[in-house]
Amino acid sequence: MIQLELRQNTNWWTSLRSILLALLITAAFSVAVLFVMSDRPADAIWQMLSFPWQGRRMEVQFGLVLQQSAYLAVIALGLSVGYRANIWNIGAEGQFAFGSIGAYAAYLLMGSPDSGWAFPALLLAGIIGGCLWAMIPAFLRVTCNTNELLTSLMLVYVASHLLTYLCIGPLKGDPKAGQAETYPIAESVQASKLISGTELHTGLLVLFVAFIILAAILLFTLLGYRLKVAQHTPRAERFAGFSPNNTVWLSFAISGAMAGLAGAVYLTAETGKLIQAENYLENFGFAAIIIAFLGRLHPVGILLAALMISYVNVGASYIQASLQVDDSVAELIEVVALFAFLGCAVLDQYTVKFKRTTTRKVA
Amino acid sequence: MSSQPALLQTSQISKAFGPVVANENVDFEVQPSQIHALLGENGAGKSTLMKVICGLQQPDSGTVYWKGEKCTIGSPKVARAMGIGMVHQHFALFEGLSVTENIAFSIDGAVQGKALENQIIELAERYGLMVEPKRPVFELSAGERQRIEILRALLLNPELLILDEPTSVLTPQEADQLFDTVRKLAANGHGIVFISHKLKEVKALCDFATVLRAGRVVGTFDPREQSTESIAELMLGSRDISTQRQVRHIGDRRLQVRQLSITDHDQTLQVNNMDVHAGEIFGVAGIAGNGQELLYAGLSGEQTTSDHNAIEINGTYAGTLGPNERRELGAMFVPEERLGHAAVPQLDLIDNVLLSNIANKKASNKGIVNRRYLSRKVEEITTLFGVRHAGNKTAARNLSGGNLQKFVVGREIIKQPSVLIINQPTWGVDAVSAMNIREALMSLAGHGSAIIVISQDLDELLEISDRLAVLHHGTLSEARAVHDWNVEQLGLAMTGSTDTPGNAAA
Repeated sequence: MIQLELRQNTNWWTSLRSILLALLITAAFSVAVLFVMSDRPADAIWQMLSFPWQGRRMEVQFGLVLQQSAYLAVIALGLSVGYRANIWNIGAEGQFAFGSIGAYAAYLLMGSPDSGWAFPALLLAGIIGGCLWAMIPAFLRVTCNTNELLTSLMLVYVASHLLTYLCIGPLKGDPKAGQAETYPIAESVQASKLISGTELHTGLLVLFVAFIILAAILLFTLLGYRLKVAQHTPRAERFAGFSPNNTVWLSFAISGAMAGLAGAVYLTAETGKLIQAENYLENFGFAAIIIAFLGRLHPVGILLAALMISYVNVGASYIQASLQVDDSVAELIEVVALFAFLGCAVLDQYTVKFKRTTTRKVA
Repeated sequence: MSSQPALLQTSQISKAFGPVVANENVDFEVQPSQIHALLGENGAGKSTLMKVICGLQQPDSGTVYWKGEKCTIGSPKVARAMGIGMVHQHFALFEGLSVTENIAFSIDGAVQGKALENQIIELAERYGLMVEPKRPVFELSAGERQRIEILRALLLNPELLILDEPTSVLTPQEADQLFDTVRKLAANGHGIVFISHKLKEVKALCDFATVLRAGRVVGTFDPREQSTESIAELMLGSRDISTQRQVRHIGDRRLQVRQLSITDHDQTLQVNNMDVHAGEIFGVAGIAGNGQELLYAGLSGEQTTSDHNAIEINGTYAGTLGPNERRELGAMFVPEERLGHAAVPQLDLIDNVLLSNIANKKASNKGIVNRRYLSRKVEEITTLFGVRHAGNKTAARNLSGGNLQKFVVGREIIKQPSVLIINQPTWGVDAVSAMNIREALMSLAGHGSAIIVISQDLDELLEISDRLAVLHHGTLSEARAVHDWNVEQLGLAMTGSTDTPGNAAA
């Protein structure tokens, strides 16, 4: 019989052990999947691990990884705020879209896009856009006690249809483009490249700073503390004088703001214009949910998880190009990682005991 | 010792949890027909010993003999099959199900329906455990619920029955009924282990006692032949448990409550008139479930009222204010539940000090938590109140009940509050910690604080209160000086058996 026994004390070593175990499980599964999906599995495994050093310039590949992980980490950290307090915003994808829409709207309203304030103004508008969109499920939960899982998810679809509508309707740009899209924003409000030839740009710096600020807030302030309390015990929350409803507002506002900021940066740095939803949204908002849990809702963990998943994603698209392995392998690995990490997290708190079922022995 | 083998005997049982030795070479023996008291502070090793006997834990070394035969109790199932039954302190009953259904559950449906009902009635009659099999549990009092627990233990025909602090939730009258039942069980040959903190009960009921201290057996004797003082001394070591009643100076009014009514779900609270003065301990007696939680919530601001003038703290109306605003007026609070209300189990002691210090300007500066200040407070609290712990970063759940209670009470006392509201200050706490806490409360009152103690422990209230009111069915009676009450009157008021003053005033 297998039994779980509560550990008397937990420390960094017990956590590290379970994380390593989860990594091992994920790795073993990934190898198995590549054996099935590729006719040259050894090459596939090797190239997926070492792709930055293959073919193209290394900084380009690492640039791709960093670019993707910046978006994922920022959105995931925002989501982790609510998750810490058992508030389940899974609509970051919609808040991301609204961040982009907000930023584009601000651009249209702006008199002089050449001003030095124009770029920050766009980002601010993105934050506000994401924040407002996130307020809807918060409002519904506080006033009508609706389940925020459902409302926030459904609002993703509303947001993405709205985005497409804007691109084919009121904000329709060049009719000769192969897809529905708006006119691009001016060069002056687009993020500038940090290293030429790579995907690294000033927008990523903005995301990095936002990540650091929010991480510091979570780790060192009363706000972070209140979330920790809310996570474990709502009654203690009231004892401390925190209103549970305000926690809902706050965590939706923060996660919406982070997703909105990511959306604004994405608009200014990656596309320069709004595009119909299926060609614009890259599922960052959903992947970030997985990242938040892989990182155990801790800023450092989220950063590492975002890097790991981005590395896998970029690696998967690399072997798709070089070895014709379908890049859905990345999604499989993500999901297995999620299960492995959640499963192994149990080992932090419990030890596994293998026992024979004991019966009464009479001497 | 009798010539026939003991019903249950443990020999040299030892069990350690990491560095903590819970049991060390414990010898323990229960004879058939014996009512055997197991005494000791919280953390003395009583629970561990019982867990070993019930098969919940395996000893590191030592042997258990059942009727003279060596045996291994691998699991609770094995223990039940052997004939060991236990009635836990906290009930595990389904509120929505009837008495019969609850019992059917625990015996895996071996007997059901009418047959089970008849069996229940027969057992109930034999042992004076009056219950109505068809009634749903949520309608029943604590005493009745306990009878269900005892009945379902008895249906498995145990030869040894363990009762873990069975009287902690009962009225004096209910406790007397329980004692009758226990005596009948013993007369029928059952061995009984009776765990309690209340020495008076033990002397009245038990014919043998084993005392544990720090995991070791420090005495076995017939409690009827020992004085309460000598038993207490054995339990506590050479510590003085008698507390001197101080003469306190009663000062100005600190808390005033007028026509406070609160409704939460189907519970209501009605406090018509309540004044508490500086230097005074105001006791609120009552049986669990009569509105204590709501009274605490109403006074602490966890539940506010729309009538702003219903509560006045230090001259400021506070009815609509939340906990932190009331703290700023000088009131501090200790809720009943240690884990999950007064403290967050998973967080360390430093974070748990912050829990009631959100409004404290020193604990955080512009929203940034000052861990150094909080850490100093942990040192202060733990030294001042003798809280044993393994460092400031220990999670609250790793502290024993008594130590954690000293911590959460100490956390408020070091703030020298002008008003302190404390719910069940010593519930489930070992005798020494309880005494420390009561002394700390009295000394705080001596320094001029106004204290409201809500407690189910009458002896405690009679010991420390200046004035006493009874909470029954959500209504607080008028307060009287303690010497104007006697235990009998209180017991009756608590069960609503008489018209207490104040009930009529509504």
